[in-house]
Amino acid sequence: MNKLHRFAAGALAALLAASLAGCAADDGTVDLTFQIWDVAQRDGMQAMCDAYTAQHPDVHIEVQVINWDEYWTKLEAATMSNKMPDIFWMHTNEILKYADNGKLADCSDIVETEHFSDISLSNASGSDGVLYGVPKDKDTVGLVYNKEMFDAAGVAYPDETWTWDDLVEASEKIHDATGNYGYMAYADDQLGYWNFVYQAGGSILTPDKTRGNFLDPGTRKGMEFYIGLQQNDWCPDQNYFAETSPGTAFFSEKGAMFLEGNWNILAELQNYPDMVGKWDVAVLPACPDPVSGEGRATISNGLSYATGANNPHLDIVKDVLKFFGSEEGQRIQGESGAAIPAYEGLEDTWVGVFDEYPIDVQCFIDMFDYCIQSVNNAARPEWKTDVSDTLLKIYTGELDLDTGLAQMQEAVDTASAEYYEEDA
Amino acid sequence: MQKTSKLSRDGAVWGLLMVAPTIIGLLVLNIWPFIETIYMSFSKSLPFGEFEFEGLDNYIEMFQNPEFWKATGNTILFCILTVPVGIFLALLVAVLLNSKIRGRTTFRAIFFLPMVVAPAAVAMVWKWIFNTQYGILNTAFGQNVGWLTDPHLVLLTCAVVQIWSNIGYDAVLLLAGLQNVSQTLYEAADLDGASKVRQFFSITLPMVSPTLFVVLIMRLMSSLKVFDLVYMMVDDANPALNDAQTLMSLFYRESFIAGDKGYASAIVVWTVLLIGIVTVIQFVGQKKWVNYEV
Amino acid sequence: METSMKTNRRLGEGLTYTVLILGSVVMIFPFVWMVLTCFKTQAESMAIPPQILPSHWDLENFVTALQSLPFVNLYINTALLIVLRVICAVVFSSMAGYAFAKLNFPCKNLLFSIVLVQMMLPSQIFITPQYLMLARMGQTNTIFALVFPGIVSAFGTFFLRQTYLGIPNEIAEAAYLDGCTKWQTFTKVMFPLTGSSCAALAIFTAVFAYSDLMWPLICNTDLNMMTLSAGLSTLNGQYTTNFPVLMAGSLLAMVPMVVLYLIFQKQFIQGIAMTGGK
Repeated sequence: MNKLHRFAAGALAALLAASLAGCAADDGTVDLTFQIWDVAQRDGMQAMCDAYTAQHPDVHIEVQVINWDEYWTKLEAATMSNKMPDIFWMHTNEILKYADNGKLADCSDIVETEHFSDISLSNASGSDGVLYGVPKDKDTVGLVYNKEMFDAAGVAYPDETWTWDDLVEASEKIHDATGNYGYMAYADDQLGYWNFVYQAGGSILTPDKTRGNFLDPGTRKGMEFYIGLQQNDWCPDQNYFAETSPGTAFFSEKGAMFLEGNWNILAELQNYPDMVGKWDVAVLPACPDPVSGEGRATISNGLSYATGANNPHLDIVKDVLKFFGSEEGQRIQGESGAAIPAYEGLEDTWVGVFDEYPIDVQCFIDMFDYCIQSVNNAARPEWKTDVSDTLLKIYTGELDLDTGLAQMQEAVDTASAEYYEEDA
Repeated sequence: MQKTSKLSRDGAVWGLLMVAPTIIGLLVLNIWPFIETIYMSFSKSLPFGEFEFEGLDNYIEMFQNPEFWKATGNTILFCILTVPVGIFLALLVAVLLNSKIRGRTTFRAIFFLPMVVAPAAVAMVWKWIFNTQYGILNTAFGQNVGWLTDPHLVLLTCAVVQIWSNIGYDAVLLLAGLQNVSQTLYEAADLDGASKVRQFFSITLPMVSPTLFVVLIMRLMSSLKVFDLVYMMVDDANPALNDAQTLMSLFYRESFIAGDKGYASAIVVWTVLLIGIVTVIQFVGQKKWVNYEV
Repeated sequence: METSMKTNRRLGEGLTYTVLILGSVVMIFPFVWMVLTCFKTQAESMAIPPQILPSHWDLENFVTALQSLPFVNLYINTALLIVLRVICAVVFSSMAGYAFAKLNFPCKNLLFSIVLVQMMLPSQIFITPQYLMLARMGQTNTIFALVFPGIVSAFGTFFLRQTYLGIPNEIAEAAYLDGCTKWQTFTKVMFPLTGSSCAALAIFTAVFAYSDLMWPLICNTDLNMMTLSAGLSTLNGQYTTNFPVLMAGSLLAMVPMVVLYLIFQKQFIQGIAMTGGK
């Protein structure tokens, strides 16, 4: 009994001490928190913070990583309680919700706009066109391929001359020669059908982004081709991908090709040491007969660094953000291999990281010439799941292509109507 | 009614003081959020926790949505798949472990093992075992069954994992109930020449029924609230997603992904109502079969 | 007559063992598979047909998992979380359970129905409101944050009320008439009688605190302030496709609970059994 009492008292004391530890003493230095979701980029972000704090010893920045799944739940709750982290990554999926509701600080005065592409700036802007973040990085999607399988089937490696026809033909030959899968096309947007839709001359949203554009002939052409790929023997069906991602299949040498974003390449080289040297990456194949345009496209997204509109240390935080967006800050990011700096002209810092690997990542940079900004409008969180559900139904045959596309159109338009007036 | 004793009569202030921490805690931590949820279910949600009262719109939208009825159906089906079979198997294991056999402790330990493993790890291993291509299950039996991707099987597969996770726990509860049954009852029945099967139905089952009732209520509540397991077992890219969507998965999706908190709250209120109804039915129904005179 | 009964019993025993052994195989198989996978390479874990035994028994995957997570902190945080939640649950639930069972006070039924209603509510609806409260108190990223939602326990109150109901009123009455104060009647006489139930509640609370995933991830962002389950999910984000490393991490997270379980097996089983006892 007495023991239990003493134990309880001790525990309560510990609780109290733990609560007090939360309130840091104010000794002139400023402690900032910096929240990100990608473990692989932690070191790069830390290096960037260290470079800043070396010049400003009165500032201390702590990098915190939280999983993508919980990141947004948490950021939303933190926003509601006015406890946002001082600096955080913003994603194009979510930026409009935060920016359009006045939760993010205006960053127009600290971004050196002349050094960023229009897409990068647009990815960091709200619906009103004002910059609510500092562009962090930019990315493209490339075609990753297994060299050994191409050799075994006697097919030349993919290059910039490749079209959809070459993709299909190579897949067939590899499947016949090795029994492995060819190009693995699965139900994904950014790493899947979006690329093909834009290559065919279509688009997901109308140019003003207020409505869907699934009924466009170009969009239909891209969707029909992409979804139809799973009909081939050389491509697994969606049931397979429900349990095994294309990346998993590729790195266990079950398939020859899949689409991958440049942000994953370094981690894949490190995580699959046995596979290094067996694979490489190329630009995306072009549509041979696009409804309009040149037939070339790749989806390019970009993150930004943002801070809350009501941040108590706004001046200091903005100074940090300015550094993150400067040539020096972006160079450190690039050299860490974390991501391609948004700052134009620093792409080589990221490419240089791969010098030690037998892989040529220059193609990711080359594709910026014809890249398409990742699809987004303010209503996207609402229509995103509806569209992906409908896509699954087309894959299972529950819906035919045209009905499915009509449903996607309907989902996007209904959700968007709440945000954009008819005549906007 | 229990007769009022001196202690309990004098206890009014003490009683309130002693329940105060728990009740205040529950009110603040759980009941208030639930009341907010009820209010939210009658409101249109704006981003970042703002609400506008709008009446029954969310409920009308919900009742007109086939996806919602599908989820309700899936949830009830999941209950039907897990509760009776789970409890039957647990009872079977308990009865077998109650007989005088060697290695009883070892068997008990084995059946109880799943409780001490993080649910995330449980889901991960089972997903791996059920994998159509690489899974050991299909390989061992030379099959090519899409355990987690076939729309007709996916809920059943999740139910199997659910039963697997809980069987030992339920069995141990029931075992305790069984061990309270007096041996003299069985000896008397033996003398009367009653068969073992007959003894089970006329002695064991009535005697263990109060425990069985506790297990039943607990399992019904947790099956109707199921989320984690299905969320971890069935990916977003799974074509069978719709056939595995339970009420709480739908809630999660509407609330945390689509950000429609008002509509999501209506789903929660409906789920709690469903649990409430089932619980009340059980409490009324218990009079017919639960034997409290030990 | 006698021989036929003997054969019958033999038959019954044989059947019992068969069913139990078959059941055990099903129960234990996922664990065996988990352990085997920990030693495989990525390629071996994906082989078609599945490769049952790894070709090398080395600890590489465990090393990778250990390097990826601050396991020492995770073990300490998990232990603190469990200890603090257990103390809160036992202390507060004992008080409330005793009062609900043995004392008369206004609104007793209404207050008790609050306990029952809580048990019906899905936990997901509490996450955001509880986070908001925590943030208002400025307590995110602390051990207190981890413990916070588990400070009181509806289940514990309900369960201990049942236990106190089972203790004859005469015991408390006698102590009270003997001159114990009301508080002493509870702490010196009644509470000690519920030792095994409190142990059961402690074990329960520990198991649930250990497996809680969402809350630690939301309330604490600093990896050093997370629990084992939450840390494991971070590992999941990092090695999405590397099953052997994930399995090794899971196993490392499991070890303390399994060891605890093996040591306290008897109390564990008896404790659980108490909850169903009337």
